[in-house]
Amino acid sequence: MALFPLSSLFENDFVIQVVPVDTEDTMDEVAQKCAFHSVNRRIEVQEGKVMRIKRHSNKELFPRDMKVANAGLLPTETIDVFYSDN
Amino acid sequence: MSLMKREDWYNLTRSTNWTPKYVSEDELFPEEMSGGRGIPMEKWDTYDEPYKVTFSEYVETQREKDAGIYSVKAALSRSKFMDDVDPGWESTMQAHYGAVATAEYQASLAETRMARFSKAPGNRNMATFGMMDENRHGQHQLYFPHTYTKRSRQWDWAYKANHTNEWAAVAGKNFFDDVMLTRDAISTAIMLTFSFETGFTNMQFLGLAADAAETGDHTFASLISSIQTDESRHAQQGGPALKILIENGKKEEAQKMVDLSIWKAWRLFSVLTGPIMDYYTPVEHRKQSFKEFMEEWIVAQFERQLLDLGLELPWYWDTFINDIADKHHAMHLGVWYWRPTAWWNPAAGAGKADRAWLEEKYPGWNDTYGKCWDVITENILNDKKDLTLPATLPLICHTGFVPIITIPHKKVPEGQLADYQLEYEGRLYHFDSEVDRWVFETDPERYKGVMTAVDHFLAGNITPPDLNGALAWMGLSPGEMGVDAHDYAWAEDFRK
Repeated sequence: MALFPLSSLFENDFVIQVVPVDTEDTMDEVAQKCAFHSVNRRIEVQEGKVMRIKRHSNKELFPRDMKVANAGLLPTETIDVFYSDN
Repeated sequence: MSLMKREDWYNLTRSTNWTPKYVSEDELFPEEMSGGRGIPMEKWDTYDEPYKVTFSEYVETQREKDAGIYSVKAALSRSKFMDDVDPGWESTMQAHYGAVATAEYQASLAETRMARFSKAPGNRNMATFGMMDENRHGQHQLYFPHTYTKRSRQWDWAYKANHTNEWAAVAGKNFFDDVMLTRDAISTAIMLTFSFETGFTNMQFLGLAADAAETGDHTFASLISSIQTDESRHAQQGGPALKILIENGKKEEAQKMVDLSIWKAWRLFSVLTGPIMDYYTPVEHRKQSFKEFMEEWIVAQFERQLLDLGLELPWYWDTFINDIADKHHAMHLGVWYWRPTAWWNPAAGAGKADRAWLEEKYPGWNDTYGKCWDVITENILNDKKDLTLPATLPLICHTGFVPIITIPHKKVPEGQLADYQLEYEGRLYHFDSEVDRWVFETDPERYKGVMTAVDHFLAGNITPPDLNGALAWMGLSPGEMGVDAHDYAWAEDFRK
């Protein structure tokens, strides 16, 4: 377990924000932490949908249960967080 | 005693040059300070500044200018203008003075470098006046806001801003350090006077003067117009320097300097001047939109000047043109949302009349930026103001030192980037655009050590490692941190 900074671009938001996560967090947990800084602040919640994460640079979609430690992300690397049907 | 006619002696004095006997030319004009680029001295002798002035003319004119602005200041000193003006205008003044006042002194240093080290005698002559101009601008823009320091500590940031780690001040310092304090004399003439002053001080000094007159701030309108008359003279040092570089086989290097400095200047203006013109200035007092002003005063002017000189438009011109309709809206959202990190009180400019004006000037505003303001407005009306304040830092661009932003609520093509990342020597850098990344790549050795607020945060230089720690690190105390300029009154337009 170690603190790991990521940069979050939440779909429909206007700014990329620094979000500290943990290397043991799953992508679902990362998405929740990112949502805290965007949803209900500048974008609306989308009920009934799940949040998914892509690597910003090449749009590689990460499995929801993948841990940060296994994603090959660099410290401060930017991820896209977005609402999805699945 | 009869005086010689001006035309009989002026050309001799303005082109007086040294013929060194006891030191070499390189010792007299070290390359790292002069930037002669191997071009022979006789070529630099041909430097021909378009605006010529003698020392006695300069002194007489400057004296009249100072008498003019001080008489206006004295006449209006008992007025209650600042008590009655819209708070958005007071914020504009605080933002302006903090960003500009002490930077003027730094500009004086840059002029001094040209006055001593430029190989072109005409450049040295003009820069001597420029040096005194900038000193004057620094003095006035500290003295005028000092009148208001009793109103709030935020006014003291005219002096304080550039001595802190506050993000907007750091963005300014990053730019000015790069283009005016750490370059040789010729690069400074091009990057500071041609790119920044010719183009962009028009924006700050003409645009703001027009808004000031409309708002009724005649003291500021008088001061800023007076400053602009100096700028329009000494800004003409870059053109002749470019001409000599182009004529002597250095066009590519000249083009790169112009491209780089116009872009970096643009980034600064998109975050400082854009919000002021389109959001802080009361809607009834706005003369032109920021985009209209940019198109008329900046775009058209640069296009004409660059082509006249035989240069190309910067390679990113299309991106720049698109940017001027958009970038500052997201910058404004960022400054307002992170308002405790500003030394002024950002005016939201998001009431009903403001939004109608924004939609008219920027069709599509309501469906993009407006949607973010919808959520913010709802939170204010539902007494959830905590959700309108930040809980983390925005990612900062390693070139512009401003937040990395994008157009909200806009469907973008798959694969489109907002963050242009670059791994260099094991460190990941972040850039707000392809152009910002290009700037870094033009000289990675120069730029690779930069530290944004986020880098300081992650390096453990900010304690406690949270937003309060960041505010303390930026030098912001209660009473200085920005709050909504109108205490959220604008949101009441939307209460049902």
